[in-house]
Amino acid sequence: MPGWQEVYEELKDQNFEIITVAQDTLGEEATAEWHNQTELTYTTLIDPTHRVSSLYNLVNVPSAVWVDEDGRIRRINEGTYSAAIPLGNNRFVGTDEYRPAVRDWVLNGEKSRYVWSRDQVAAKIRQRTPDEKIAESTFKLAVYFFQQGNEILARTYWKQAQDLFPDSWNFHRQDWHLTEGLGGPKYMEKRRALVDKPYYESLDLPDEP
Amino acid sequence: MSRSSGLRVGIFGVCLLVPFTSMAEPVTVLYDDQVIEVERTLADPNDLWVVPSDLPRVNGFELKPEGACLAELCVPVRQDRDSEMFVTRGGQGWFNVTALARKLEQAYVADHDHRVWSFGEIPVARNHFVKSAMAPDFTLPNRDGELVRLSDFRGKKVLIVTWASW
Repeated sequence: MPGWQEVYEELKDQNFEIITVAQDTLGEEATAEWHNQTELTYTTLIDPTHRVSSLYNLVNVPSAVWVDEDGRIRRINEGTYSAAIPLGNNRFVGTDEYRPAVRDWVLNGEKSRYVWSRDQVAAKIRQRTPDEKIAESTFKLAVYFFQQGNEILARTYWKQAQDLFPDSWNFHRQDWHLTEGLGGPKYMEKRRALVDKPYYESLDLPDEP
Repeated sequence: MSRSSGLRVGIFGVCLLVPFTSMAEPVTVLYDDQVIEVERTLADPNDLWVVPSDLPRVNGFELKPEGACLAELCVPVRQDRDSEMFVTRGGQGWFNVTALARKLEQAYVADHDHRVWSFGEIPVARNHFVKSAMAPDFTLPNRDGELVRLSDFRGKKVLIVTWASW
């Protein structure tokens, strides 16, 4: 979050907005601690039902979408951080290449080599299988029951949603966090099981010209 | 929980399960991030029937003489006789929301014990999103609870980043 604030400070006068969407079924109760780390002046939204991921067919966080002045998507479905964030042992998540790409788009618009055509965007939007579509409805049912205070039923439907949509990290991690307190170990176990399959969608940044 | 029995009726050689009795059975519908309480439905263990005036808030469709319509899309629905999609009981017309969903390949799941129906996206509407690559609009609260719409920022470039505390 402080990283995005830095990007925002640099580019906010260029007709540019950052919207972070916190997808947490517990809402601000879960996110306040993170939101309060630094003063954030960009738009910070709360998304208890994972609405944005549902609308944009995203399966993991963080994921980014670029939307231009006319409401057209110019990049979508890429796991990204504002910079390379050290995890220790010389390992990093994210890349320092993303911020220059955002800057280039904000300053050059349509002429930026980072913007995608309509066909490129369409190709990058994740398609859902019939089971995954049922999973989306099942997840909403789980959130509804959780919000009604019926955690047992919420758990039942969260589990069903995960079984139907194993590729959704969002569905797994939200549930593990809320109903099992096992976010860490379960996450590591599933992540190890990926072997060579990527955890995030690739960034597909073009090479230097 | 009480459920009325259904009656199998053959129409033109097609076997349809048509609800037998009409009674007020309130249900909750989840659609498009809305929680919609519907007071009157037709008792049916398999399908969700609502009065046509409830249709727009349940799934955005409107029942017109030519059929059930959402923007330019119209699904033909006969209303002068009973069908899988529409029945008349005691002078009241009832529309089958789940039959329409099946026709449109719209996913749905139900918790029958609590009478909650959760409907997914409507594929024909979503195909437009993929083909046009236009950003679907959404409205969410900010930290102060004020509602913010993506389209409030039309005219600016917007970087949307999802994240979570977990």
